[in-house]
This record gives sequence, structure tokens and C-alpha cells, in this order.
Amino acid sequence: MKSKNIAARALRSSLFWLLIVLIFFYLAFPFYWAVNSSLKTEPQLQMTPATMVPRDAGGDFAPSLQNYAAVFANPRFVRGLINSCIVAVSTTVLALTVGSFAAFALGKLRFRGKTPSLYVILAMTMFPQVAVLTGLYAVIRTLGISAIPGMILSYLLFALPFTVWVMTSFFKGLPTSLLQSAQVDGATPFQSFYMILLPLTAPALVTTGLLAFIAAWNEYLFALTFTSIQPSARTVPVVIALFTGQVSRQEPFGEIMAAAVIVTIPLIVLVFIFQRKIVAGLTAGAVKG
Amino acid sequence: MGKRQRLAALVTALLLLPVLFASARGTQEPPGEIVINIASGAVGTEYERLLEQAERYMADHPDIKIEALSTPDLATDRLGLYLQFFEAMSPDLDVYMIDVIWPGDLAEHFVDLYEYGAEAQAKEHFPAILQNNTVDGKLVGMPWFTDAGLLYYRTDLLDKYAYGGPPATWADLEAMAAKIQAGERAANPDFWGFVWQGNAYEGLTCDALEWIFSNGGGTIVSPDRKITINNRFAIEAVDTAARWVGAISPPGVTGFGEEDARNMWQAGNAAFMRNWPYAYRLGNADDSAIKDKFDVTPLPAGRSGHGAATLGGWQLGVSTYSTHPKEAAEFALWLTSAPEQKYKAVKDSNNPTFMSLYDDPEIEAASPFMVKLYDVFINAVARPSTATAPKYNETSVLFFTAVHNVLTGKLDGRTAMEELELDLQDLLGYPVGQP
Amino acid sequence: MTRSTELVKHEARLAYLLLLPSFIILIVIAFYPLASVFVNSFTDKEFASARAVNFVGLENYGRLLGLTVKPLPPLTDPASGQIQRDPASGEPLYERPVKVLPREPRRYKELRQFNLLGSRYVLGASDRNFIRGMADTLAFTLLSVLLETFLGLIIALVLHSRFKGRGLMRAMMLVPWAVPTAVSSRMWAWMFASTRIGFVNVLFQNLGLGDGQIAFITEEAWQLWVMVAIDVWKTTPFMALLLLAGLQLIPEQMYEAANVDGAGKIRQFWNLTLPLLRPTLAIALVFRTLDALRVFDVFQIVLAQKRYSVASFIYYQLIDNQAAGYSSAASVIIFFLIFLFAVLYIRVIGGVQNEE
Repeated sequence: MKSKNIAARALRSSLFWLLIVLIFFYLAFPFYWAVNSSLKTEPQLQMTPATMVPRDAGGDFAPSLQNYAAVFANPRFVRGLINSCIVAVSTTVLALTVGSFAAFALGKLRFRGKTPSLYVILAMTMFPQVAVLTGLYAVIRTLGISAIPGMILSYLLFALPFTVWVMTSFFKGLPTSLLQSAQVDGATPFQSFYMILLPLTAPALVTTGLLAFIAAWNEYLFALTFTSIQPSARTVPVVIALFTGQVSRQEPFGEIMAAAVIVTIPLIVLVFIFQRKIVAGLTAGAVKG
Repeated sequence: MGKRQRLAALVTALLLLPVLFASARGTQEPPGEIVINIASGAVGTEYERLLEQAERYMADHPDIKIEALSTPDLATDRLGLYLQFFEAMSPDLDVYMIDVIWPGDLAEHFVDLYEYGAEAQAKEHFPAILQNNTVDGKLVGMPWFTDAGLLYYRTDLLDKYAYGGPPATWADLEAMAAKIQAGERAANPDFWGFVWQGNAYEGLTCDALEWIFSNGGGTIVSPDRKITINNRFAIEAVDTAARWVGAISPPGVTGFGEEDARNMWQAGNAAFMRNWPYAYRLGNADDSAIKDKFDVTPLPAGRSGHGAATLGGWQLGVSTYSTHPKEAAEFALWLTSAPEQKYKAVKDSNNPTFMSLYDDPEIEAASPFMVKLYDVFINAVARPSTATAPKYNETSVLFFTAVHNVLTGKLDGRTAMEELELDLQDLLGYPVGQP
Repeated sequence: MTRSTELVKHEARLAYLLLLPSFIILIVIAFYPLASVFVNSFTDKEFASARAVNFVGLENYGRLLGLTVKPLPPLTDPASGQIQRDPASGEPLYERPVKVLPREPRRYKELRQFNLLGSRYVLGASDRNFIRGMADTLAFTLLSVLLETFLGLIIALVLHSRFKGRGLMRAMMLVPWAVPTAVSSRMWAWMFASTRIGFVNVLFQNLGLGDGQIAFITEEAWQLWVMVAIDVWKTTPFMALLLLAGLQLIPEQMYEAANVDGAGKIRQFWNLTLPLLRPTLAIALVFRTLDALRVFDVFQIVLAQKRYSVASFIYYQLIDNQAAGYSSAASVIIFFLIFLFAVLYIRVIGGVQNEE
């Protein structure tokens, strides 16, 4: 009986590890392919069959850093990184702040017009981006808003509903008893929101923040239009899309891949650090019962 | 309202205010200075070259400041951007770099350059281009540099299979490609005979126009505004091309753009390629697998007895919403003048639009390949953008979708062209005619 | 109970105050663009053109959604009166749809032919691209969201348990989502290249599944699957992260209690985890479905004008055809469809609506 348990556990554990490995490869392999492609020169990219590592005509391992050199030599790329950071961080902070306020109201407070409010907020994301592009551009121009604030506001159009809905759901999931006991203790609703409920929804905040950040980071169509007249405000996807080869029509695939790698690695590192801190904070401040 | 709540409301308002009202773009020009904004490409040295030229112009014209704006290389993205500006009637850009197929559709947004002194240089340019850029007598864009489709062929393979020279007709091409492919496949399983642009986009309109026009099938819509596409020569041409797919061209050719074709060609996996002149220099790069093993020639002929090359290229137009049209037009005319075109020809291998420059010894020395193209450019066939203005884009989409359906086997040539004719009649309202 | 009524009023006031910033932002930014989409859908407005704008009522909608069914008579030999048959298969030959489908007031194009009760019919649409785009978008959404939810749940469950290297896995998990879509679409398009330049063709050939020349992006049978593959890779992390956050909110004590009660892992999952995860799952599904129905980047970059999604159809109508009114009508149609989905989800799966 005991040996059967050990065997069963060993099998479960190895299946578990197999699953982890498979998942890891599924998520990571295309990224590996991007790295592989970024280290290839144009002729190496044109080789058939495609090689797993950069090889020269003779079959020897021959990576090249020329794509990375080209990307770093491009001043627009670095500025693009900075712009992307500004836009993404601002969007996230604003969405989380404004969104949590609204979510607390929608999730925990009693008032009339809850359902319509939720649907109105959601309705903002029900239009394809390209449909609202022209109108938004006109609004931004009429109000005289420059490119970066313009992008931040436009991204809020899609980030805010998401934040509101996710946070509302999480606030709803928190036991009402907490709110009530706080009120019994004499706290105003806002105080209980700020000091008790908000810290408890930390995982939701981190998650939503992360997703909103990356969505703003990724966005291309609006960024292209709004920064068209202000090249200094261009974000990373626009800069990469404007990468060109030496001559017209040439698509510098290797450089585009190098840029993709450069853009992704710091993000991963950031997330890796950030995530551990939040998880630590969670387990430390968990509420019992 | 508790103190905390008031504080929260205040903080939120403060967070929002600067974002909402941050208006950083001062469009005040310093008095006495005129700023001309030109939208250009950002390809390779194109942008730097323009800045160089702008510097020289500014040195000669101290009261003018030129600012260049880089725009996406992909035509649809660039067009989308331009349209946004036109929709907003924006004075932010004065000079626009426009593709050869846009003058017809965008004519209402550009000034008539004849009113700004273009008459003098106009007749020195290739007549086909000039005619293409003239919409109802109005010169919408000044030709800047040109482009046309070419046939690239592998000289070493032609020698190996004992062919005297490049194919003169499409039938020859098909036969040669098949034989070379059969021979090369043993050593190279990725080898195909002929690669071209078969994706459902403007590039297919270019390639298909070449097959059809060289076969005597007309130009989709004739210059005198008759729909001529539904004729047996056009149908024959498209059906022929459909036969190539999977036989001498890879099945994926229906997804090929210029770069996909070039990637196969430059890796040495194709015997023939149809592409624009840009691939010539790239093919002779030091690390290219086909360096010095290829050459170019005009595209093969069909029933008409002569080959056809689709006209490409870029022009410069001045926006009607510009606040300084006169100065902008002067700059545009300066950029497209013979000396400046020669400068770009020598430095960047941009094909000039001045006929006389093709005899220029300096250009010949810098780029002997370019001088050979004169015959191609003088005989180039323009897409019917002016005849179908302002609906060229829609026409083109209908056309390349129809051709793509034939290439992928969804429809046969006859049905596709018949339906295309009906579609064009609905769209344009033109009568049907013979090519 | 004056105190509690006071509290309720106080709460309501606070609620409105807290909602105010969100609504201000949304109204300032969204009102004009959304209103203009609705208004334009009833006109023939052209984008970037000074042409006069006319009110056309429901004409745009009629053209987009126009469908018709017409019978196709078999071709008869004029001399003998016999039904003509295809010499190879023996099947009867039918009239060509282009001759049968109506042309006034709108031209209908063949969408599909089908047999019903021995007769042959043709389904015609006045805008074939739009109808196909809708069908493709719905199919894409269904496949995509199903796969993403399934995979996302698995990944979330795996990452929820403790094991060494969990932090790294969590960070790696975000890679697909972190790469800008504009770039990852191009990367995948390269991987799916139709010759052996593309990794997938090489892989398939090595696995004996093909000859290395499969044209994934141009063959109809493969196209949607390619789109789904790219999208699932890209957005599974989104689902996984959201579901993980939901899992983390379930208190450990509940699992401890369940263990004490002797419930196995699977039963715990079905009876404990899933119900408690329901609200999060609902949100994740709503937003993923909304996003999938609005899919644009992947279709525009990889398939361009070979095959449309509703959003890319709208884009090309706007940019290529400069048809602002027409594309606005298409936007309104997809808006109502998305609204319907959202309401359905929330009603059926519940979560935010239901009080505990």
C-alpha cells in the first residue's frame, strides 16, 4: 500500500513537471525563434531550410550582432522606449486610481444606477479601435492636446472599463463583514476602502495594472496616428514599424526581431522583481477568517 | 463629505487636469520665418538625403525653414496617415510624397502645380508619368523618381541549361523555368522556376497588369474611361498565371510580396523573378548568394508582341491646406529639378524622371544598370489611376481580389473577369469597351 | 433607523463622487467619436473628402447585411430538353449564379451554393466580404477563446502551486503578451512562411506531415487556424494571469478544510475552485471575447486583404475606399453583436451581477 502511494505520487509529480516543461516551451519557443532570427544576417534569414541557430553557408555556427548594433545606433529607438514607458505607466496609474474608486462604488456601495453604469462603462470597449480612430483624432486636435497626453487618454478608453470591471468583481468578492465591522468601529466608507479593502485586492491591482501596462505598451494604431506629426513622441511599436532597410520596400526582419528582443527582456526582468515583492506582501498581510 | 473624500476628489482632479489640458504644440512661427513641412519616407538613407538637400536649400533661402517628417514605408499605412491629415484639413504638412497611384484619388487635396510654374520643367519628364499625374488638366504631383517592373534572370543557370538569352515571351519563360526547375530540384529541393508577387494587394495589380497588357488585354479601364477588362486576352493571361502556381512557382506565391520573392531569389532558390529595380543592388551585396550571377531584362511579351512594365515611383504634391503654397511649391519644384534628381540618382540609385538624365555620363558611371532601364521606363504602362479617379483604390482592390481568386483556384478566369466587369460597372458607372 | 438611512444616502453620495472621474474621462474622450460613428452610419460620408454628405437612412446597413436565396435551375440542352450533366461525375450542371442573382437595387454576389430537397440554391450577399468577415470573426472568437481559457486555466493552476522556479515561470509567462503585437504578428507570419524559410514548414516536414511547401497563410483551410494559433499564443498569458489572481484570492483555509473533509483534488477543483473562480472567469471571458470580436492587428498584418475580420474590413473600407459612412455602419453592427455577447455572458455565467 505504501509503495503504491509513493509510486502514484512520483507519477503525479513527474507528470506535473512534464506539464511545466511543455508550457514553458510553448510560451518561450517563439521568443527563442525571435532571438535566433535577430542573430542572423539577411542571407542567413533567407536560407532554406530555416536553421535553429544562425549558421553560415558552410554549416558552421555563425551568429551576428549587426542587427543589435543597428537598433542601438537608432536614436529614435531609445526615445521610443522612453515614450512607451511614460505612456504605459501613466495609463496604468490613472486607470488603476480612477478605476479602483469607481470599482469600490460599484462593488460595495449601495446606490441606484449600478447596472446601467457598468454597461455604459463596458460599452466603451465594444467598438473596434479603427472605428473610433478618426473621431478621437479630431477630439484630440480640437482640444489641442499633444501626442503623449492624447495617447494616454485614448488608451484609458480601453483600459478603464477593464480595470473597473475586474476590480469591481474583486471588491464584490471581499466579505461584506469586513466593511461592516469597520463601520461599526466608526470608519467612514472611504476610510474602510482606503485602509482595509484596497490592500486586500493587491493581487487584482497588480494583475490589472500589469495587463493594462502591457496593452498600452503594445498599442500601434492610435500611436501611429497621434504621433504622426510629432516624431519625438513615437512609441516603440511605431518606431519598430518604421524600421526600414537600406532601400525602399526592403523589410529588415533581423532588426525588427532584435528590437523585439530588446524590448521584451527588461519587461520580463521588471515583472520578475515586481511579482516577488507583491507575493511577499500578500502572504504577510493576509487576513484570517 | 468627509475630509478624506474631499482630499480624494481633489487629488483625482489634480491628476486629470494637467493631462487634459497639456497643450505643448506651439504652432507659432517666429515672425519672418516660413516653415515648410515635408512628409518623406524613412528608408535607409532617404531621410538623411532629404535633410541634406533641405540644408542646401535653406542656405540659399535664409527665410525658409524646412522640416522633414518620416512616414511609414508600407503604402496603406502611409495613405491612412495622409487621409487623417486631409480629413482634419491640417496645415501641418505642406509637401507630400505621393505614390504614383494616388494623384487621381487625392486630387482634391493638392494644388495645381501648373499655377506655380511647373510648366517649364513638365515636358522634360517621362510623358506617361506626367499624364498619370494630371487630373482634369490639373498637375497634382511633380514626378520625383520612378520605378518599373523588371525580369531578373540567373545568367549562370541559363548558361548551364544552354539557353542563349532571357525569354522573349511568357511561353518561353514558362518552358525555361520548368526545365531549369526540374534540373535543379535534384540538388536543391527548395528551388522554383519563377517567383513574383501574388499576394492580394496592390503589387498583384502591378504584376497582373503586366501579364494582361503584354497579351493585348488592355489596362483594366482604358484612358478614355471604358471598362475593358472582360476580354479573352485578359482572361487568357490570368489563366496562364494561375497555371504557374504550384508548377513553376511555389504554391505560396499567392502570398508573396516583393520581399518574399526577393528572399527566395537572393538565396538562389529561383531561376526568374519579377521585381522592381531595388532588388538589383541588394542582389549584388557582398554576402548575397547570387552575387554577379544574374541580370535584368524587360518583361516578356504576350500576344501583343511587346512586354509591359508597370509604372511605379513617387511624386511631390503641395497640399491645398498649406499656409504657404507658393514657397512649398518652389521647394517641391526645386527638389524635382534635374540637378537634384541627378544628385539622388548618383547617390541613392533613385531612377530619375527626366528623360535627358539617362544620357548623363556621370549617372552612367555611378550606376550603369540604371541607364539600361530607359527603354523600360519610356514604355512603361501606368495603372488606370487617373481614368478611374477618384475611385482607383477600390478599382484596384476589386481587380486584385478577382485575380487572386483565379490564382488560388477559387474561380476560373472567365467567371472572375465577368464578375469584375459587373463590379466595375457598379462602382464607376463607365460603359464597357474593347481594349 | 435614521442613522442607517443617513448612511445609505451618504454611501450613495460617495458612490457618485467616486464614479465621477471615470465618467468625466469617458464622456470627454468617448462621446464625440462614438456619437459620430452612429451618426455617420446613416450617411454616405467619405473620409478625407469635401464631397457633400447625404443622409441615406438604412442604406448602408441594407447593403452590409443584404442576403438572398435564389434557386438555381439545371442547365438543359436546348435541342433535346435533357438536363446537361458533367461528363466526369454525372452530376447535373446548374445555371451560373451570376445570371440568377438579382442586380437591382443592389447586386448580390454568390456566397455559397447548397442542395436542399433535391434542388440547388445559391445564397447571395450584397457585401460578400462583410458576411464572410463576420463568419470568420465569430469562428475565430469561438476557437480562440475556448483554447485560451482552457490553456490559461491549466497554466494558472500550475503556477498556483508551489514549486521551485515559480517566479521565473511567472515572468516567462508574460513573454507572449509583452512582445508588441505588431512585431509578434510579423514573427509568426515569418514562422508560417510558405517555403522552408518558415520554421513550421521545416517542423512539419521533419515530422513527416508535409513536403515543406505548405502555404499556411494563403490556403483557406489553414488561414483561420494560423490566426487562432498566433492569438492563443499571445493572449493565453492574459487569461492565465487573470485566473491566477482569482485563484490567489481563494483563502487557503478552504482547501485545508476540504482536505480535512477528505475531498480529493479533482472534487476540490470542481466543487470548490471553479465556483469561487466563477466571477473572475466571467470577467476574463467577457473581455477576451470582446477583444477577439474586435481582432484587428493579427488579421491586418498577416492576412491583410486575403481574408478579413470585421475590424480589418472596417479599416480597409475607411482607408482604401474612403467610405466613412459605410464603415461606421459596419462598426455599429459589430457593436451590437458584442453588446449581445456581453449581456449573454453576464446573464449566463454571472459574477459581477449576482449578489453572493
